[in-house]
Amino acid sequence: MYLKRRQFIAFASALLARPATAISKAGAAPLLLSAASDSDDRHWVIGFRDQDGMAQQVFKHRLPARAHHIAVHEGLGLYVVVARRPDRYLWVGDLHSGDHLAEIHVPNDRHLYGHGVFSADGSTFYTTENAWQLVNGDSGRVMVWRVARQGESVTMTRHEEYPSYGVGPHELLLKQQENILVVANGGIRTHPEQPREKLNIESMQPSLAYIDAANGNLLEQHFLDAEWHKASIRHLDMNAAGQVVIGMQYEGEPFDRVPLVALHEQGSAIKPLWAPEPQQGQMSQYVGSVRFDADGNFFVATCPRGNLITVWRADNGEMIQSLRSRDGCGICAVADGFIYTAGTGRISHYEPANDTITELDTGATGKVFWDNHLSTGNA
Amino acid sequence: MKNTYCLLLAGLISLPLLAQEAGQSSENWTEVNLAVTDDQVIPRYAAFATASATLEQVAENFCANPGEGSLAAFRVGFHDSMDAWQLIQHVQFGPITYFNWNYRMQYWPDENGTGARQLDTLISSQNASALEPDNFARESVGVQGLPALERLLFAEDSLSAMQADAFRCDVAKAISRNISEMASGVYDRWVEEFRTTVANADERGFFESSEDATIDFMKAQVEPVRRIQQQKLEDILGESEARVRVRRAESWRSERSIRNVRLNVRALEGLFNGSGDQLSLGTVLLDEDVDTINEKFATLNTMLAALPDSLEAALAQEEGYEQLVAVASGLDALFEALEAALKNTDLYLGFNSLDGD
Repeated sequence: MYLKRRQFIAFASALLARPATAISKAGAAPLLLSAASDSDDRHWVIGFRDQDGMAQQVFKHRLPARAHHIAVHEGLGLYVVVARRPDRYLWVGDLHSGDHLAEIHVPNDRHLYGHGVFSADGSTFYTTENAWQLVNGDSGRVMVWRVARQGESVTMTRHEEYPSYGVGPHELLLKQQENILVVANGGIRTHPEQPREKLNIESMQPSLAYIDAANGNLLEQHFLDAEWHKASIRHLDMNAAGQVVIGMQYEGEPFDRVPLVALHEQGSAIKPLWAPEPQQGQMSQYVGSVRFDADGNFFVATCPRGNLITVWRADNGEMIQSLRSRDGCGICAVADGFIYTAGTGRISHYEPANDTITELDTGATGKVFWDNHLSTGNA
Repeated sequence: MKNTYCLLLAGLISLPLLAQEAGQSSENWTEVNLAVTDDQVIPRYAAFATASATLEQVAENFCANPGEGSLAAFRVGFHDSMDAWQLIQHVQFGPITYFNWNYRMQYWPDENGTGARQLDTLISSQNASALEPDNFARESVGVQGLPALERLLFAEDSLSAMQADAFRCDVAKAISRNISEMASGVYDRWVEEFRTTVANADERGFFESSEDATIDFMKAQVEPVRRIQQQKLEDILGESEARVRVRRAESWRSERSIRNVRLNVRALEGLFNGSGDQLSLGTVLLDEDVDTINEKFATLNTMLAALPDSLEAALAQEEGYEQLVAVASGLDALFEALEAALKNTDLYLGFNSLDGD
């Protein structure tokens, strides 16, 4: 079911739990955080707010190398910038001032994959890592860090290491109430000496692993059908009902017909989802980020190679809308829809209730290329 | 006219403020986009559709009466279609991406020899229904387009093999018809649909803005330069003359791999400068950058004019390897010049889309 615009608006309005007009201006605009690069190949973490259509920069700090995702803990007032593969740094900042508090490195025989997640109380942080010296077997790791903040002092200590039960783990989530980690094992073996080479495409075996966060035991592991084993499971999000949305990147031929988005609920099989044509083809075998909306009824999968952003229903897995966005990748839910960022420097605000896109004025932030992920937190 | 326009547009886009002024310049972007569409894209697709319609005809003639004369005509038909394809191969957006037409037209590079295996399987199946138009369009991409046809037409025993096996000839005929249908399909959709998409790029639709549409044209200008350098030359030339792999070349069987590159460069130069007083992609760059880029084109043209059509024959010439390495360097210099020129504009071709995370 691909809806015409008018049908979509009616549908979206009905599905949104609250009328958008009642909530859109309530309270301060949330802080948005993203890594970015500029044309001189400098790398930054930038915090900004959507102030009446203007991207109001709150802070901008130089990073040692290119970053990927930013994890936020509002209670601790911290954000953690996670280095992109194959780099090794965690760059910690204060969520209120943006100020740099600490830079922590993983050991020389590890590197990060650009993603991390806090426990609800903020005492624990989890990262996906590569034990790359293991050139055979499952080299994916989940590192458990202990986190403590006292004033301007932040410590992050490597506490315990779990297997990720696969190769090339990427994004991870924590089901807070059950204390279960959900890990996307991308399946692609890489080595820091050949940073962007993929070494095992023919034999790659991506999976979705549910891991007991208390002890690292594997609770469930799910694979795609064998014919889709080159669909790397990389990006995840979860709604309050425990539905996990999966975004994939396909390593096979550009003309193969493969699912790039899937839904999963614990205890059942992965449900692959298909966009209608031409959107399925226009996704260009690559989903860069997935996020549920604020109420968990919709989710969005961004396709920077296809210059496409797709909107899906969580209840039946149908794609219901698509938007064009050149190199659009970073996305996060706000009260009345989504904010998304692009490698071109654009920032856009999408409101499903009236199906409108508003481009934010980026005049003040200077020209940067937004990296793949956008985070939000109330500072 | 062109110079006045160039100054006007260059004045606008050389300012980093353009992002905020994009709305003001949208008419200018659309003018450029439509000029390129009408001057450089649609005529080349029209020529390709015409050439491949002839190919379909000479394929029919050959299979009705397979002999040396009709094979020679079939080969000429192939060359004319390949010429026309090489002149529009750089456009990898719009209708050519529908129905996987781009991959079905030319599945290349094919490092694992997939196309050859699939073609052998198809021929040995002797399954006539597989050649019906609707079925053939669903066959593996490796058997559907120009490389598969080249394999059938340019072997030493092409004539005797097709005389001995009528089905083999039917396969060549089915490929030719398929090429013709795809070529006319791409042309029709540019004329009937996609030109309108380009013209209305400021409405919410396939493009975010008219400037966004210009980015796709500019990608067709810039990205193929690197692809030609790497895939059509460096991957074949290897690290030294002893490491050359001639059979990786794009059209080694039909002995025209360098001719392809020559045509590619001609097409890219056309896209950049337009014909006559037409607006073109060069229009959106600064004058001094246009001059630098045109010097790179001139250097490449001189080098390519001195080489034979066949890459193998070029290698057999004295200093042939060095000449081909120099062409690759010339393409690298052109790419760098285009990239540098783009940095003086607000056009940005990609960041996350080139990423692997």
